Amino acid sequence: MKLLVVEDEALLRHHLYTRLGEQGHVVDAVANAEEALYRVDEYHHDLAIIDLGLPDISGLDLIRQLRSQDKTFPILILTARGNWQDKVEGLASGADDYVVKPFQFEELEARLNALLRRSSGFIQSTIAAGPLLLDLNRKQAQIDGTGMNLTAYEYRILEYLMRHQQQVVPKERLIEQLYPDDEERDPNVIEVLVGRLRRKLESTNGFKPIETVRGQGYLFTERCR
Amino acid sequence: MTLRIRRVKARWGSSLRLRLMFGSVVLAVLFMTALLPLLRSAFLIALEQTVEQRLAADAGALISAARTDDGKLTMPSKLPDEEFDIPDAKLLGFIYDREGNLIWRSRSSRGIAFDYLPQYDGGGNRLLRIYDSKGKDFYLYDVEVDLLRGESAAFSIVTLQPASDTKALYRGFTTQLYLWLGLALLLLLGLLWFGLTWGFRSLRGLRKELDEVESGNRERLSDKHPSELLRLTGSLNRLLDSERQQRERYRHSLDDLAHSLKTPLSVLQGVSEVIAAKPENREQTRILQGQIERMSQQIGYQLQRASLRKSGLIRHRVPLQQVVNNLCDALDKVYRDKQVTVQRQFDPWLEIPMERAALLELLGNLLENAYRLCLGQVRIRASIAQGICELCVEDDGPGVPVDQRERILRRGERLDAQHPGQGIGTAVVKDILESYEGELFVEESELGGAAFRIRI
Repeated sequence: MKLLVVEDEALLRHHLYTRLGEQGHVVDAVANAEEALYRVDEYHHDLAIIDLGLPDISGLDLIRQLRSQDKTFPILILTARGNWQDKVEGLASGADDYVVKPFQFEELEARLNALLRRSSGFIQSTIAAGPLLLDLNRKQAQIDGTGMNLTAYEYRILEYLMRHQQQVVPKERLIEQLYPDDEERDPNVIEVLVGRLRRKLESTNGFKPIETVRGQGYLFTERCR
Repeated sequence: MTLRIRRVKARWGSSLRLRLMFGSVVLAVLFMTALLPLLRSAFLIALEQTVEQRLAADAGALISAARTDDGKLTMPSKLPDEEFDIPDAKLLGFIYDREGNLIWRSRSSRGIAFDYLPQYDGGGNRLLRIYDSKGKDFYLYDVEVDLLRGESAAFSIVTLQPASDTKALYRGFTTQLYLWLGLALLLLLGLLWFGLTWGFRSLRGLRKELDEVESGNRERLSDKHPSELLRLTGSLNRLLDSERQQRERYRHSLDDLAHSLKTPLSVLQGVSEVIAAKPENREQTRILQGQIERMSQQIGYQLQRASLRKSGLIRHRVPLQQVVNNLCDALDKVYRDKQVTVQRQFDPWLEIPMERAALLELLGNLLENAYRLCLGQVRIRASIAQGICELCVEDDGPGVPVDQRERILRRGERLDAQHPGQGIGTAVVKDILESYEGELFVEESELGGAAFRIRI
């Protein structure tokens, strides 16, 4: 998933960038609201983690601006004071959950995953599509109960397509899911990865859930639950 | 009876207007009491002067009627003033010689005897009060005559009139005096009451504005007060502004402090998690994380405690429904997957006597506990009876065992380590309540879980 982290404290921002990256997310980590607004304008994010105590434009104002720009991705707020005035204001201005500083990364991750599941319409930590079962916590896929041997990139593409089932996902969106913005991008890599993924899915029982929509992107045709 | 007297005393003592009124009444009554004998004696003097003048005129009439023949006095059979000739009339006349022998008496004086010996000593005239043999009171006027129709003579002309007439006059006067002085006192008190009411109108206006400030409907006092009060209202306004600014500065400083302390703690927490990845560091990391948790709790608790002290001047009242709705909207979002049903059992217009931030914090902590631990049902009950507000937050969760109810009210105490949270929620609730002189009880709910009941 592509996440936006807005935190002014460099060390904490770096820590979140590293830990979330290790969890298989592509992280856009910025220090202020202005930069955050620029990033959301340029890229498609699946979730944002926003610190309320930002310099210049506050976290609350940033959330309001994002919602006024029709950005619907879930927002998790980080609050230092942890008082209910801040929490209520944050949630009322458009955030979906909060974590009080200092936090254990596991807590942040659990809340983040819950928000991601909820935003794609799944309550459970697994997504099932026909014989395919995706375990979102373990980042593993199974077909007919047998574990699939997927690389991290293949898993990310599969998870993204399944979360956006019945929707055409452009290649550029998938590239964003794989690489941070400053890395070199090559659309051919996506084609190669999707090709490998298709082969792995088909190899067991001829399961073909991914279709190519010419000139537009990919479509996960199987209904997920 | 004693209680009644005490109440009256308290009432008189507590009102400036009543005190002034009481003082004015006492002064007015004292003044009039002192005035009364003066007025009476002035009237008496005037009355006696009138009597003297009249008796002198009557004596003059006798002198003008008197004749001397070889030093012997003769009086006409008919006097110019007929009253001397009418028996039992009120005007009496006597004439004495130099030695004090009675040589003539008017017909009107028949039957009246009194013991009087005129002193022919060149003293002129005098007015006396004497009693006759029957005890009847008279005014007596004695004038010495040394010349009568051009001839030398030596007589004492004495005229009398009963004092009973003047007594009736005096009684009438004193009755009128009491009546008019009483009426004047009543009028004075009425005017005084009106004057005090008018004078204290500005104080009542000030009281009304202070009530509005206390209830939060007004930020500061207006300048529309008499010049004598402007210094007071100015000082109060400066105090109000200073308190408001101080609170805001305090709140901002606490925000900054929280941010500047907790963000480095978050970094430390992150670093400790990275270090913990190596098995040989596990023990040290556990200690480090324990200390971070402890510091975080201390900071969170002290900051919340510091920011939620009750305001000294302003009496806040917050609509409960609004705060509950705000919190439930927020918590419904966070616990969306749980689909919690919240029953609201209170009057929609019910107001809680607390500052909004304090009530938000208090209810936020209790409701979050309820949302977190419930199976799906939360109930909020509230009522106000005899000035005491009772608020209860219940859930259908596991509840709090009896032996642990006291313990969870202590700072940093958590019974549910598996649930995320700072563990200071109920302690903060208790602290807020203490500053409002309220109480917190942990009980069992009819729903099956815990019931946190507040009395304030």
